Amino acid sequence: MAGGYTGKILRVNLTTKTISRIDTEQYEAFGGGHGMGSAIFFDLVGDQLPFGGFDPRNVITIMTSPFSGTFVPSSGRSEVQGLGPMLYPIEWFGHSSFGGRFTAQLKYAGWDGVVVDGASSDPVWINIVDDKVTIESAKGIWGMNTWDAQQEISRRVMPNLRYGEWAEFTDSELVLPANSSHIPDHSGSMAYWFAQNRYTTQVPAVVCCGPAGETKSRLGCLVHGPGSQASLCGFGGVFGSKNLKAISAIGTGGVPIADPKAFMEARLWFRQFLWDVDDPYQADKYEGRGLYALISGQPSGGNVLNGQVPLIPARAAACLSCPRGCRMRLATGESNEAVCAGTMAVNVRAPQAAGAPAPGAGGFGGGDAKLSREGNDLMTQLGLSHWQFMPLQRYVASLYQRGLLGKGKKIDTDLPMDDVGSMGYYDTLMRKIAARVGIGNDLSEACARFAEKYGMLQDDLNNGNLQLTYWGTSEHYDTRVETEWGFGSLFGERDLMQHMMANYPLHWMAETGSPYLTAEAVAKLYTDAMVPYNGDPFMVDYSETGNYSDSKVKQVAWVKHYEKFWTGAGGFCGWRWPMCITNNTPDHRGPTPEAEPKFWNAVTGKNITFAEGMVTGHKIYTLDRSIWVLQGRHRDMEKFPDYVYNEKSKGNIMPMYQNGKWSYETGEGRTLDRAKVEEFKTKFYKFEGYNPDNGYPTRDTLEKAGLRKVADLLQSRNRLG
Amino acid sequence: MAESTKADEKNEKKVLRRDFLTGSGAAIAVGALAVVTPAAAAVDVPTPTEGEVTYPASMGYIVYDSRLCFGCQSCMYACSMAHQGEANPTLSRIQIVKDAPSFTTYPHDIVMNPCRQCVSPLCVQNCPTGAAHIDTEHGNVRVIDQKKCIGCKRCIQYCPQRPHRTVWNPYLQKSSKCDLCLDAPYWSKKGGPDGEQACVSICPAHALKLVHEPPPQMDEVGYDVNLAPPPPPPGPPRRPGTPPAATQSAPKV
Repeated sequence: MAGGYTGKILRVNLTTKTISRIDTEQYEAFGGGHGMGSAIFFDLVGDQLPFGGFDPRNVITIMTSPFSGTFVPSSGRSEVQGLGPMLYPIEWFGHSSFGGRFTAQLKYAGWDGVVVDGASSDPVWINIVDDKVTIESAKGIWGMNTWDAQQEISRRVMPNLRYGEWAEFTDSELVLPANSSHIPDHSGSMAYWFAQNRYTTQVPAVVCCGPAGETKSRLGCLVHGPGSQASLCGFGGVFGSKNLKAISAIGTGGVPIADPKAFMEARLWFRQFLWDVDDPYQADKYEGRGLYALISGQPSGGNVLNGQVPLIPARAAACLSCPRGCRMRLATGESNEAVCAGTMAVNVRAPQAAGAPAPGAGGFGGGDAKLSREGNDLMTQLGLSHWQFMPLQRYVASLYQRGLLGKGKKIDTDLPMDDVGSMGYYDTLMRKIAARVGIGNDLSEACARFAEKYGMLQDDLNNGNLQLTYWGTSEHYDTRVETEWGFGSLFGERDLMQHMMANYPLHWMAETGSPYLTAEAVAKLYTDAMVPYNGDPFMVDYSETGNYSDSKVKQVAWVKHYEKFWTGAGGFCGWRWPMCITNNTPDHRGPTPEAEPKFWNAVTGKNITFAEGMVTGHKIYTLDRSIWVLQGRHRDMEKFPDYVYNEKSKGNIMPMYQNGKWSYETGEGRTLDRAKVEEFKTKFYKFEGYNPDNGYPTRDTLEKAGLRKVADLLQSRNRLG
Repeated sequence: MAESTKADEKNEKKVLRRDFLTGSGAAIAVGALAVVTPAAAAVDVPTPTEGEVTYPASMGYIVYDSRLCFGCQSCMYACSMAHQGEANPTLSRIQIVKDAPSFTTYPHDIVMNPCRQCVSPLCVQNCPTGAAHIDTEHGNVRVIDQKKCIGCKRCIQYCPQRPHRTVWNPYLQKSSKCDLCLDAPYWSKKGGPDGEQACVSICPAHALKLVHEPPPQMDEVGYDVNLAPPPPPPGPPRRPGTPPAATQSAPKV
């Protein structure tokens, strides 16, 4: 196989307790990560759809990419896929990723991914030590929070481990998995040689569910390390439904690189785009400093809970391979490696303060920073998704304020609502949800299904009290202005969560009040990088006209294709890639689109262009869409809630082209237009090769993408476009 | 190599008993095959051979600031990539150890472990074949000649550091160690004490640095140094009211 791959994917069936392998090579055309995960899911259960996320047939894939375990910048993500019980109204085939060390350790153990299906009759965890893979009893671990579980599993994997020492794996421990004949030949690569006397100083990388996952909460997330969450889709609950507490991986091998010299040159070349940590005035290069600097390159900027003076001594902390280091590790040990929503979902007021602080505002919003750090840590320990808990706790508070929730109210609960915002309140609320106790049982169904149970879903979606803009996940950036975020999510299965696709570079730069590029300049520069649609600045025109334009169709398509290949299959972090502009180079040009193929080709030995990667992105997106169609997706379902048509936007500052000139404007007061949204959908389906009547992929599109068997299955279900 | 000779003389360091007792290890004649009990228990080391012996000091040392480290481990991958052509932390001659599983607190949560280019290199001293030797032609860097290595692991056994900085290559069944990128076939830069090292060049936190004077040889203190950038020049803040950058402003503990 090409460089970057180990050549085999681990498959574990928890019903039959069998361990086998899948040859990576048969999925190489999908690149890696998300692409391979989608293809494996389709092959294993595509013809059995539809069924639910908690069905034992649900297949969970945790995939690496060719970049995993190398030091391609910011490529340390593990891609999790499967049917997502968090998503609404159908538990769509979804994806969520997490950073940290897991993806690298899985590769060093010799695996390109893990595929889990079936359900165990008793709680178990999967232990991967190089080629030795075992299904272990989770007795004594089941019920633990995510931090304790990881520590206990590490102790079980390496009982004599002394921190800071080399650990040796002897051959006596080495057992090849079932159906495995031998380690494949990797063209002389040392990495997969059947080694003796294998050592490592590293510790097991464990990903697990918390108590919330064990109770099959739809808020259940997967947690790795102290703060890394696969937050979306409810995969913690899927782990729980399979009686799977955790997967641990540690390896002593490496990742073969096709062209090491080219790789090293690429990595040296990339340094020009990095934040200069030695320059005390580096932040000044980002006009206005503040949030834009923090989110667009400054190390440690992702943790908003250590922004108040006096600062807690801390280091900037990175996922493996990442030169950005957006996280922190604090001397107090709180909120370690948590980032963004993982540090903002729980905003605890100071004990003496009256009333709740603004939900979600984190340390910047008046909440007590230390208590908020502890509150967010509790959320992660319980295995609750920050991205679902954030809107849920807001919704509970709003119901209370509207007199609909509380003791003796329509939603009768003994939650201490008179103490909303306190640590005691959050503690009670989160534990009830995780354990499915009392009102927690209903809340554990996540926002949409909770509101639906009490007959308030449609009203609250329409009036904006519950801003679940796409598939049961919360509004993130205002669809009425940042339309590509909305459409990118609507044409997907959950919140887009791709910040560098215009949102950070455009919205947040302008939000500083003194952007370092004019609206006209940034439109040109940004879209220059958007190969193959480059040269059309109107792709990032966020005016009312621009938001429904043909150019906007191209932008949305570009976002989806990049998401599926370079981010999804390549394992890039959505907080760092793509980098179409930067303030770290004199001409403000970022490494995109040059860096992506430069690294891909050095690692794999292939010779693809950026545009060819985007074509594969379209292929993967089309496959995902086909799976959704098999689950019941139709264009009529792809609709925003009424509030985006009825309620006026507060505005989001973005570049807009109006009256013949570019400027930064807010779009305040704007609503979406139903007819224009429908017209936009039609244009998008046509652009992507889908039938505009129903949004189904056509046979021609599928066959051109090499997905004939997908076309055949859709046709057999009368769902071919 | 007149320059090297001159440099050797300049950097030659006398190794005395006090160095030995402070953890730098025993010192006996260069090239001797005598085996010395490792300083695994640093406080329980044998008395060295009587008399002063000297090693020419390396002209290059990698020091670090463990408080600046992001923990991205790019230095490890850069090392194995530069030398072996693959990303392989086990083969890396610099080991960054993160706590298990990351729940201890800064600054004890990450330990950086580059080779110290010891003034008194026990790996050199205890190598029975001369594979581990001092490269006098290239700034006295302590290196291992793979052609001479017989895989006896003595250099690993006698390395006084934990984790040991001599690294076992299970594929070749030989030892290797940091050579300051003197022999790094996949590294296009010139290595050695007057060159560039892959780990130092790649580190995004600038937490690694090549220096030319031997750091104090006691414990970790001499190598774990302050590499933080100097504070901004005096004067009013350039943009008052903006939030400080945590990593640049947080006091060290």
